[in-house]
Amino acid sequence: MTKHSWAQELLRRPAGVAAAAWIVLLVVAAVVSSVWTPHDPFDTDPYSAWQTPSLNHLFGTDGIGRDIFSYVFAATRTTVVVAALAGVLASLVGIGLAALGSLTARWVRESTAVLIDILIAFPTILIAMLLSSILGGSLGVVITAVGIGYGVNIARVSRGEIRRVGRTDYVLAARASGVGSAGVLGRHILPNVAPVFVVQLSLAMATSILAEAGLSYLGYGASASTASWGRLLNDLQVYIAIHPGSVVWPGAAITLTVLAFNLLGDALRDATDPRLRARRATSEAIA
Amino acid sequence: MSSARFPLPKRLLAAASLAVATALVVAGCSSGGTTGETGKPDAAAVVNVGLVLEPTDLDIRTTAGIALDQVLIDNVYQGLVGRTSTNDIVDVLATKHTVSSDGLTYTFTLHQGVRFHDGADLTAADVVWSLQQVKDTATFQNTADLAAVKSISSPDADTVVLKLSEPDSNLLWALSGRAGLVLEEAATNDLKTTANGTGPYTLASWKQGDNIQLKRFSDYWGTKAKVAGVTFRYYTQASAAINAVISGDVDVQTAVDATLKSQLTGVDGISLKSGKTTDKYTLAFNNAEAPFTDIRVRKAIREAIDSKAIITAVGGSGVEQGGPIPELDPGYDDLTSVDSYDPDDARKLLKAAGATNLKLSLTYANFYPASLGDVLTSQLKKVGITLTVKQTDFTTWINNVLVKHDYQLSIVNHAESHDFGNWANPKYYFGYDNTKVQELYAESLAATDQTVVDEKLAEAAKIVSDDAAADWLYTATTLTAIHDGVTGFPTSSTSARLDLANLAKS
Amino acid sequence: MFRFVLSRLVLLVIGLVVASALIFFTLRLLTGDVAQVIAGTQGTAAQVAAIRTQLGLDRPLPVQYLDWLAGMLHGDLGTSLVTGSSVSSQLLQKLTVTLPLAGMSLVIGLLVGIPLGVVAAVRNRRPEGTALSVVAQALAAVPAVWGGMILIAVFAVALKLLPTQGYPSDGWAEPGRALRSLLLPALTIGIIEGAVILRFTRSATLGALDEDYVRTAAAKGMTRTRAVLTHGLPNVLLSVVSVLGVQMAALLVGAVLVEQLFALPGVGRMLVADVGVRDLTKVQGELLALTGLVLILGFIVDLVHRAVDPRLREPGE
Repeated sequence: MTKHSWAQELLRRPAGVAAAAWIVLLVVAAVVSSVWTPHDPFDTDPYSAWQTPSLNHLFGTDGIGRDIFSYVFAATRTTVVVAALAGVLASLVGIGLAALGSLTARWVRESTAVLIDILIAFPTILIAMLLSSILGGSLGVVITAVGIGYGVNIARVSRGEIRRVGRTDYVLAARASGVGSAGVLGRHILPNVAPVFVVQLSLAMATSILAEAGLSYLGYGASASTASWGRLLNDLQVYIAIHPGSVVWPGAAITLTVLAFNLLGDALRDATDPRLRARRATSEAIA
Repeated sequence: MSSARFPLPKRLLAAASLAVATALVVAGCSSGGTTGETGKPDAAAVVNVGLVLEPTDLDIRTTAGIALDQVLIDNVYQGLVGRTSTNDIVDVLATKHTVSSDGLTYTFTLHQGVRFHDGADLTAADVVWSLQQVKDTATFQNTADLAAVKSISSPDADTVVLKLSEPDSNLLWALSGRAGLVLEEAATNDLKTTANGTGPYTLASWKQGDNIQLKRFSDYWGTKAKVAGVTFRYYTQASAAINAVISGDVDVQTAVDATLKSQLTGVDGISLKSGKTTDKYTLAFNNAEAPFTDIRVRKAIREAIDSKAIITAVGGSGVEQGGPIPELDPGYDDLTSVDSYDPDDARKLLKAAGATNLKLSLTYANFYPASLGDVLTSQLKKVGITLTVKQTDFTTWINNVLVKHDYQLSIVNHAESHDFGNWANPKYYFGYDNTKVQELYAESLAATDQTVVDEKLAEAAKIVSDDAAADWLYTATTLTAIHDGVTGFPTSSTSARLDLANLAKS
Repeated sequence: MFRFVLSRLVLLVIGLVVASALIFFTLRLLTGDVAQVIAGTQGTAAQVAAIRTQLGLDRPLPVQYLDWLAGMLHGDLGTSLVTGSSVSSQLLQKLTVTLPLAGMSLVIGLLVGIPLGVVAAVRNRRPEGTALSVVAQALAAVPAVWGGMILIAVFAVALKLLPTQGYPSDGWAEPGRALRSLLLPALTIGIIEGAVILRFTRSATLGALDEDYVRTAAAKGMTRTRAVLTHGLPNVLLSVVSVLGVQMAALLVGAVLVEQLFALPGVGRMLVADVGVRDLTKVQGELLALTGLVLILGFIVDLVHRAVDPRLREPGE
């Protein structure tokens, strides 16, 4: 199946189109916010704290008088960077582990399987907490933690798929004719499991956004000098009883974006390969 | 020599009005002061008190942390002398004390009939032993406080005499803290989990991670406690603390977050009281490293900072502070006019120093509010300084900033009273080395007349402030929420000490 | 089957040992030192060194590691470096909050997810089925922290039905209060988890609807719904069980965040605090207990799955 037909299939699905549109909008916002925001997102003015939404402050202001709209807007950059890099890293880790766990000698396969099981037992958030305590909190830590954490999930899901493809006649034939593991992986297996990865990539991005928000909320994520939806949630949390309205914005931004990546993942799955619907169960469980 | 302690998370930034120590009567509240009027005290009552930081263990001798002082000193452990909530020295286990005119001999007359919680009588030998232990044991907290003491002896059963090798005007203050606590020589209890003192309360139980219970000591030598017991509960989250006081889980909540005080407004039967502290929220500069070796840069940063805006950002829970000494400490002068807010001049100074487009990093512990870093970033940006903020956990902060001096700017609540000595210690993390200040401080310690002490300290403080060795963001005021019927609860310096001898509940 | 159990058991033990080594040595990379924390900001270098010796932290790392492993063979997770109390007793005490929280969340998740998931599948492509799917998609995307804040704003602040935060200090001595304190946190995790389970159940049921036995039953005059319920449901439930193993980790993550938000004195908050003061003995004990719990649950789920579903056997095994 070619990329062209995926795209066409995708465009026939309204949820997929809406999701893709939201993500495009997000990327545009990320680019625009690096040159322009209505107010400086880091500009504080404690004397005009907790203003209600107005034309000047679309989402109102927070406890130190920051413009919430500008801050949420500027934080799209963080979100886009984290989603993109964490997604790529997770895919690399996932493909690597899955290949190790399916195409190699039995003892390597078994050890990889054990390693995957152990790593899955380690909640991503704990990996990130440890990394950020060692290295200091930063987006790099979040990206690494989600990359490893979700990569392991991808590996678990894809292991079976790779193994299945690895047992098909044409791969066995290729092996018999002397093509090495790397060759088999590159030429036969990856193209065939690509649809699974594309879907997983999308879900990994959704997870990375939730993880970034959670970690920044706990104070283990983005540094204070980086705008982040999770950190804004943390800042606003104690005021939930007095100013409940203000937490709506960062929360809705996170939810919509995660939703968009999930929907895109689903739409891609449907678009790429109807056969995959049967396996939908496994990947959804992890998403 | 005392040094900073870093006890208090977000909530300590709490306090109501700028008019310090004014009782803020919130709603339908009948009790206005800290001593009782209405209702009959209930001798069987247990008062629940909400605090912020729980001690890690109870060893008053070796374990650092103001959380221990707060609960145990005055209430469970006592010294020859103590201090009031506004930092005046008073006799406790001593009926009186005299200081010789050369400042080298301190004579204490002991109270008679004082009993330890295990039933043993207090003897002069216990006092001598306790002080000697602190002086001789390097791993004890505050051991350096007794450095000037040459000998500790008891010429008779009622008297303890300290002889000094040189005068130390800070000695009585030190003796009112950990260095002066009197423990029983014969006792064998485990200090990590139990306590055997002479105070009005015994330590009844410690449920780690949750509460500490004190009970009235029925053999107490002085006026016995008016309540049957006190239970301290710990709330590290500001909003949880507010909920606890509203729901009645606690009768008193200390260090209420001022940015949340509107939640307590209009709640029947709860009043909010504002009190003074010595909590100096300090923006420390690494004076030993460039660019802070240039006084113009240091002054520019001070002038770029609008303390009033910062105090507003923390809910109004502070007063401006212009130098290293807070109002409650000896040597205080109003220095707020030194390097006051003037962003235009700050830009000029930076230009003159060739420090335009300065990039600095600010490292501080994550239990202080993120808003401090946010407001500073925004204020410094207006004079062309780009600030990168890193909030780390406290342990990383100790390691990197306090021990290794690996930092540029840091925010610390130097909560301890009488801690000017840090500015006279070039090895401290401030990296501030000024011989004149060191001389003046030494002279203040050597002085035998309190007015001379005050003068010397004030002169030294003025130099430190003129040198722009740091920026003192504000001195915190602290808010205490008290349910009607509870009286005798101190409202000043509650983060340092909490003397509950007069506590009553009706 | 016996060979399978044995091989899984060996893998489990290897897993625990590898996890313990990973945890132990990774933690040693943390900056900062518990001895410095105990000595405080006034602590001199000599004081810090004395405390390190006293705590046995000056011994070589492999010796400390083996010592810890040996202790664990006797079921001893070690003692806290800061308070000197036993790690297992602390952990057990905190588990009285975290386990009920996780349990309640799971129950809520299953109660919401499975029935609605089946409904969504049976009513597929009809308005109510689509609505359920859409809502589930949206809820599954809600960050737990935000979900919790909204629940607080609605049920605690506006309606004043439940406490906002905190936990009774005598815990289960007052079961009513403890349950009320756990209800909002459990709902937070449970609803989001339920949305995930709903989506999963829906897919599994849709799969079952296509299976021959359901078609046959339907052909014999049963309604499709009844056919699914009687013949398909066991298989659907089986797949849900296999997924729960994986979801345990997600549940724990949820617990860490939600305990923080609701100020619950559970394992998650204890862990965050212990990392903060570098009480490494305690942190490693807690991490190993959590990881071990997930590994062992995974092991059990595997066995159950294997026992019930012979299709899983690989050829050649």
